[in-house]
Amino acid sequence: MITAAELEHLAKLARIDLSEDDKKSLAKEFDSILGYIDQLKKADVKMDAEGRVGAIKNVTRPDEAVKISTEDRELLLNEAPDREGDFIAVKKIISQD
Amino acid sequence: MKIDITNLTIKKAHESLKRGDFTAVELTRSYLNEIAAKNKEVHAYLEVFDDALEAAKKADETMGEARSKNKDFPLLCGIPFAIKDNILIKGKTASSASKILEHYKATYYATAALRLAQEGAVFLGRTNMDEFAMGGSTENSAYGPTKNPHDLSRVPGGTSGGSAAAVAANMALVALGSDTGGSIRQPASFCGVVGLKPTYGAVSRYGLMAAVSSFDQIGPIAKTVEDAEIVFNVIHGKDIKDGTTITEERVSTTYSLKRVGKKKPVIGIPRLFLSMGGIDPSVKSAFEAAEKRFKDLGYEIKDIELPANKYALSVYYILNFAEVSSNMARYDGVKYGLHMDGKDGIDDYFKTRRGGLGREVIRRILLGTYVLSSGYYDAYYNRANAVRRMITEDFLKAFDSSGGGVDLIATPTTPGPAFKIGEKSNDPMAMYLEDIFTVTANLTGLPAMSIPCGALPLPLGLQLTARHGDEKTLFEAGKDFLGELE
Repeated sequence: MITAAELEHLAKLARIDLSEDDKKSLAKEFDSILGYIDQLKKADVKMDAEGRVGAIKNVTRPDEAVKISTEDRELLLNEAPDREGDFIAVKKIISQD
Repeated sequence: MKIDITNLTIKKAHESLKRGDFTAVELTRSYLNEIAAKNKEVHAYLEVFDDALEAAKKADETMGEARSKNKDFPLLCGIPFAIKDNILIKGKTASSASKILEHYKATYYATAALRLAQEGAVFLGRTNMDEFAMGGSTENSAYGPTKNPHDLSRVPGGTSGGSAAAVAANMALVALGSDTGGSIRQPASFCGVVGLKPTYGAVSRYGLMAAVSSFDQIGPIAKTVEDAEIVFNVIHGKDIKDGTTITEERVSTTYSLKRVGKKKPVIGIPRLFLSMGGIDPSVKSAFEAAEKRFKDLGYEIKDIELPANKYALSVYYILNFAEVSSNMARYDGVKYGLHMDGKDGIDDYFKTRRGGLGREVIRRILLGTYVLSSGYYDAYYNRANAVRRMITEDFLKAFDSSGGGVDLIATPTTPGPAFKIGEKSNDPMAMYLEDIFTVTANLTGLPAMSIPCGALPLPLGLQLTARHGDEKTLFEAGKDFLGELE
């Protein structure tokens, strides 16, 4: 049975606020779902097998900045909830005490 | 003028547009009228685009120009489409049926949508879905469920429920959906229409809001296999903006050409897997009838084994939770979408995400965080990837032509018909079990299509899976089964 403390830890990692009620219902659901997926422990599997899909390999390209049009730039910046000129504003995350 | 949209297909519409039986504006208006009459009840669309008629007018102009030069115009010119709410259309709202993107306007086109638009397709509106493509019934939409047009007390399936319902109810001629674990095929099955999940990499995911990056594919939902094929032919292809797309050579007719002469594809049925229980009797009998129909059409049926399939759902959900938890991190109220204030910068995230994301999304993010966390990563995520490879190898073995393999694998699409609204919404595990036949195509990357095979009032689907890149065999067998080759 997953504990409230464990759920709080996960919520912290995932940056999601959870109420006490949330934690109660989630604990039940976690148990039901983890109970099912735990079946996987029975699988007789070679753990060194690579987890590839089909015949896919990594494809790379140079990490280069691309110029976009002023219009597109405006569209992107306009979607930000808190825009200041050419910047997106965010609150401080490091306190100064 | 009254156009009979009930019996239209893309080719029929195209011929009529060519002959001048009706214009693209008249065609789009017919669908808009149908939407006005039915959408309040069915709730397939979250938004009907106010420029649909304008787009139809442009299509008429394109056709007029082509006619004056004695040239042909594209098959999709003037054809009315419904587009799932997680596929970006520049300038239009795209919310993935979530509150966190309620007012987000797409700043670019999804490649698949752009390719349709370039052919002159008309976008009627954006369709309802389970929030962020997590669910199996469209009940997880933050904007209310969609109803199954065949029975309004039942779900249309999910997560592309709105798209499937729109096509089934003649509120669009064809639709785009997305499929992560069956999200095109299962609603197609519940709504009695055709749904294709292409080979992984066949269709660009650029502009599709990512759910599970190694599973997701955009695909068509249509009334006929031919219509699905026409749309697939336009939207697939290598895209420089999506590094996981495969080249034309990999999505080809190679495999069907390997077949000697005009012999029909061999169909494999995983008997043991099907006998696992939990399958509705109506599905069993519809599947037996479908098997008989294939035999009557001259297909050889072989029994096959897919031993690792019993772990498919566990593998699927572990990887789903893991990748979802990573992909959902971007919804933090900073660059776009809903922002809710907390006491500082980090608390903003906590409040925004709790405020804007639905229950199922939060559940999966937390489960994903769990299976990826230190101490559990090896037992869950790494193990799931290794078993994913085992499952894929089972399929490749079944398809191995050198070893007397089959060309298609047939199963029911779903273990039962459309369930009642509310029936499974309180039990996440019961909802997950609905995916039992569809997840393997996403795990393996193989193309799979659902075609209608049950009698009304409740439609059922037959699922065919083919080799990587072999959509052509899916189309051939599907058209044969549905009598489209006559």
